[in-house]
Amino acid sequence: MIPILTLARVVWLELLRRKDFYVLLCLLTALCAGLLSLDIFGLGGIVAFIKDLGLLAIWILVWILTLNLSVRQLPREESQGTIFPLLAKPISRLELIIGKWLGCWSAAGFATFCFYVLLAGVAALQGGAFTPLVLAQGFILHLAAVAILAALGILLSTRLNSDAAATLAYLISGACTLVIPQIPGVLTTLVGPRRDLLLALYFATPHLELFDLRRRLVHDWGPLPTQPFLIILIYGVLITFILLALAWLAYRRKRFVRGDIL
Amino acid sequence: MTPAIEIDRLSVSFPSRSGPDIVALDNISFKVETGQVFGFLGPNGAGKTTTLHVLLGFLNASGGAARIFGCDVRASIARERIGFLPEHPDAYRFLTGWESLLVAGRLFRLPHPVLADRIETILALIGLPLDIARRSIATYSRGQRQRICLAQALINEPDLLILDEPTGGLDPLGRREVRTLIQNLKAAGKTVFFSSHELSEVELVCDHVALLARGRIVAQGAIRDLIPPDERLEQYFLRMVQS
Repeated sequence: MIPILTLARVVWLELLRRKDFYVLLCLLTALCAGLLSLDIFGLGGIVAFIKDLGLLAIWILVWILTLNLSVRQLPREESQGTIFPLLAKPISRLELIIGKWLGCWSAAGFATFCFYVLLAGVAALQGGAFTPLVLAQGFILHLAAVAILAALGILLSTRLNSDAAATLAYLISGACTLVIPQIPGVLTTLVGPRRDLLLALYFATPHLELFDLRRRLVHDWGPLPTQPFLIILIYGVLITFILLALAWLAYRRKRFVRGDIL
Repeated sequence: MTPAIEIDRLSVSFPSRSGPDIVALDNISFKVETGQVFGFLGPNGAGKTTTLHVLLGFLNASGGAARIFGCDVRASIARERIGFLPEHPDAYRFLTGWESLLVAGRLFRLPHPVLADRIETILALIGLPLDIARRSIATYSRGQRQRICLAQALINEPDLLILDEPTGGLDPLGRREVRTLIQNLKAAGKTVFFSSHELSEVELVCDHVALLARGRIVAQGAIRDLIPPDERLEQYFLRMVQS
């Protein structure tokens, strides 16, 4: 466990010492400051508007942060050659994958926490605090989505360079959030193999929209019942596990070529 | 006594898209006994780094076996007694030198109190002042990065040190320090296995060598037994490689 935690700590230090997190925090702060100064003709509903826009911004910023952080971990080790002294130590490739994922997930999770605290503060200043239980549920499910995104980034970067992995990760996760949930609506108009293909795609891809409690938070709809909440959480754990297992399979026999290998 | 390194009829080939497989190592065998300073020599493309990569478990052999202190190189226990410095060493640039050594030590599961003392000792050994070690590696010169990577390789007090071109990128003073370090390690009973193009360095520090050319061992043994009295290692090397 010590090597895994050590590798995760290195990812944390990277997040804290590079500018990505601070830039995104500044962006969100600027957005929140702008929202605080808003009072659209004295109309009601401004709090819901702040919550809606703020939560959307948090989802986008955390999405960018998680994927950027996770896709560069393994390719950077290879391009800088730090992978060789790392794997010359008594750690397995599985520990390396888990350590990197844990670091990305926990560091992006910390950033998510900071963003939620900022938004909750802004909403409270406008007199519209979040319902604590719903906020906690929304945050926990958001963390589950971050776990999936981090695992997806790590998986793609086992065989691709960081640019290609990032592009593909954005496309896949974007499709999982925006396109795949629309499939049931299309299915009613289709028959035959095309319908089966779409149905298979629908069940084979991660459903990131399940982890999004924004509407519940914005409209104060009350907490999600315990059972569906737990089922979604277990679904998130399962998808993360599958992605990490695939990452390990792709990485365990990978041959590294750098410099004068022959 | 179990040899530090045992390579037995090792072969490595890579698939080629446009023809037969590329044979990087062809049935090579040699032993490095405990306490030896062993030079692994060969021209570019001879297969030195491939051999090191098999030894460290990065690459799987197509045939034969490689053992470190009697353990299969693919077992992580074999790597607990090894320190490794790659050919183009680099470290995480967002860490300080001290932190990078702390990370390396923790990957060997060394406890914090032991590590702090050991880091100070190693920094003194490689000649990196403490104030530089507290700075970010991003600010280091190439030589300082080489030193911090060497320090990482020594963090677990390895019984076997594997060095791939250890003096590349170092100034003459740095080279002399590495030479002295290798001699000190030998005096402490450690085994050092290093590949190098710097034949003068090899001649100064090694007691045994193996010469690799086109994936085959063309000569191996103690330097004093291999090289005729009227020849230098460089002449011998050129003669053997060209033949």
